[in-house]
Amino acid sequence: MSASPPDMPPAVEFTGISKRYGRTVALDDVSLEIGDGEFFALLGPNGAGKTTLLHILCTILQPDSGSVTVRGADVVRNARRARQNLGVVFQESSLDDRLTVYENLEFHGLVYGVPAAIRRERIAQLLDIVELTERRDTVARALSSGMRRRLEIARALVHDSRVLVLDEPTVGLDAQSRGTVWRHIERLRAERELTIIVTTHYVEEVEGADRVCIIDHGKIGALDTPANLKAQYGSESLRLVPRDEATRNELLAQFADRASERGEALVFTVPDTAFVDALLGQYGTRLRELSYEHSSLEGAFLALTGRGAKDQLAGPRERTLAFARQGGEHTR
Amino acid sequence: MNPGPFAEAPETFSRRLRSDVGGVYAIWLREVKRATRDRGQLIGGISRPLLWVLILGIGLNPYFRGEVYGEVRFIVPFTYLQFIFPAVIALNIMYTSVQSAVSMIWDRQFGFLREVLVSPLPRSLILLGKVLGGATVAFFHGCLVLILARFADVSIAPADIGYGLLLMALLAFGLTSLGIVIANRIRSFEGFGVFSNAVILPLYFLSSSIFPIDPGLTRAQAVVVYPEWLITLVQINPMTYAVDALRGALIHFNQFDPKMGMLVLLGMCVLFFGIALAEFRRS
Repeated sequence: MSASPPDMPPAVEFTGISKRYGRTVALDDVSLEIGDGEFFALLGPNGAGKTTLLHILCTILQPDSGSVTVRGADVVRNARRARQNLGVVFQESSLDDRLTVYENLEFHGLVYGVPAAIRRERIAQLLDIVELTERRDTVARALSSGMRRRLEIARALVHDSRVLVLDEPTVGLDAQSRGTVWRHIERLRAERELTIIVTTHYVEEVEGADRVCIIDHGKIGALDTPANLKAQYGSESLRLVPRDEATRNELLAQFADRASERGEALVFTVPDTAFVDALLGQYGTRLRELSYEHSSLEGAFLALTGRGAKDQLAGPRERTLAFARQGGEHTR
Repeated sequence: MNPGPFAEAPETFSRRLRSDVGGVYAIWLREVKRATRDRGQLIGGISRPLLWVLILGIGLNPYFRGEVYGEVRFIVPFTYLQFIFPAVIALNIMYTSVQSAVSMIWDRQFGFLREVLVSPLPRSLILLGKVLGGATVAFFHGCLVLILARFADVSIAPADIGYGLLLMALLAFGLTSLGIVIANRIRSFEGFGVFSNAVILPLYFLSSSIFPIDPGLTRAQAVVVYPEWLITLVQINPMTYAVDALRGALIHFNQFDPKMGMLVLLGMCVLFFGIALAEFRRS
């Protein structure tokens, strides 16, 4: 987190945001401050309220109570100024399939009122950064999903936005494209003064973030640097597969409060090294497999939410596509 | 690559105006580009008037006479082709306008709408750009029909062309707004096709477009020739006055007060755009 002058407002500030859909509470009094130049990650299971929070930030939804400012501009009262500072990449693609790569960027520049000379310059620079210069005149429909994402990220920056909001930027991409997308985000960050707010459920992707906010049931569960989160909530564990049934039963009986079963393996949470010494001294010769797991964000995440981050329901776009694949309404 | 003076410059009135005009232009341009890249729309825009003018018009031409069993009731001093020609322009504009609203459903379904909604452009201008774009395409499809004028034996005086085009533009704008009002209620592509046909065809057939209602007759006399419900429906249909105004401009034949047409068209534009805007702001 880069230091900002004291008179500078934070890049984004949420104050007491609440939002409910009918009787479901999506967000419950959430307050957050995101500093200028920070790389901020929102992590949470599906339905935790991450996307709702971002939609309130992007002025698509209005909160029931509370306020949000973007670089000092209130998103409700001074929406125009706030939107001018935001670059948004939505979870679901929002490109126009029938326009070319260049036309999509040009459209964005015009809608955000970027003067022609700056527009041309920015588009050329950004196309270069996301390596789509050669695809300039390709129709968006013909791009791969990784390229589409990169195009959307470039598009969000055509108007010199200072706060880049990415909602699940790598969902639905293969591992290689995910890597490429992150590499481009890193490069953009290095070249511009950019605050990045990202939601994801790939825990490994937020390791590089300045701060991680774990959100669940509309509330902030934890908010800290990845290293501190790991130290505080993540636990180290010992995973082993006993050689026979008798050993297994003995282990379970002796360390019942620390053991959990995962298939044929047993996993023990480790309080200290003495525990490991004792266990291995006694059972070391009667094991088939043994591994030591260091604390991870995934572990911290599990400890805080009780759920795996990847337990995802299909999004509306996936559902629509699946529906189309089965032949639409006519085959039912 | 640090953001230049653009991002930090204060918002002045002239800068805001320029950026708003640019935004409306971008949305308009996108609609027009999308329409020109969709060959199906263009084929429809050409085949529809050909069907109505060359087949229906020429086919019914000999039967369009005021005499019934030798008793003269009502004579329209035009051939059927000439009579139906302005109505076909209205039909072509109607179809294209209402269909252009499909792009609204499309944008909502595939997320593009969000890209526009988070931009600094106010909702009213987003809608204006969209309606202007759809109306431009519809207007162009109306102009395509004008090319057939000589086949329909319609000669348009240069002085009338301007007024005719103005009426066509207003009709296109009003109907595109109507299409968007319909699209707000129907969220699927299939549903929209069926529903828009259910709106377009009755409006068209009941607009005195394919058969005249004698302007010389009183209502009581007209009811002798046609059933009362039909007369009533024709008279309350706003399209009746739009078609009538176009006929007045292009072939100088009016069944109703010529001023009515302009008034009804302006009213349609204001009313439908107003409804569309109110709904768009709420969503």
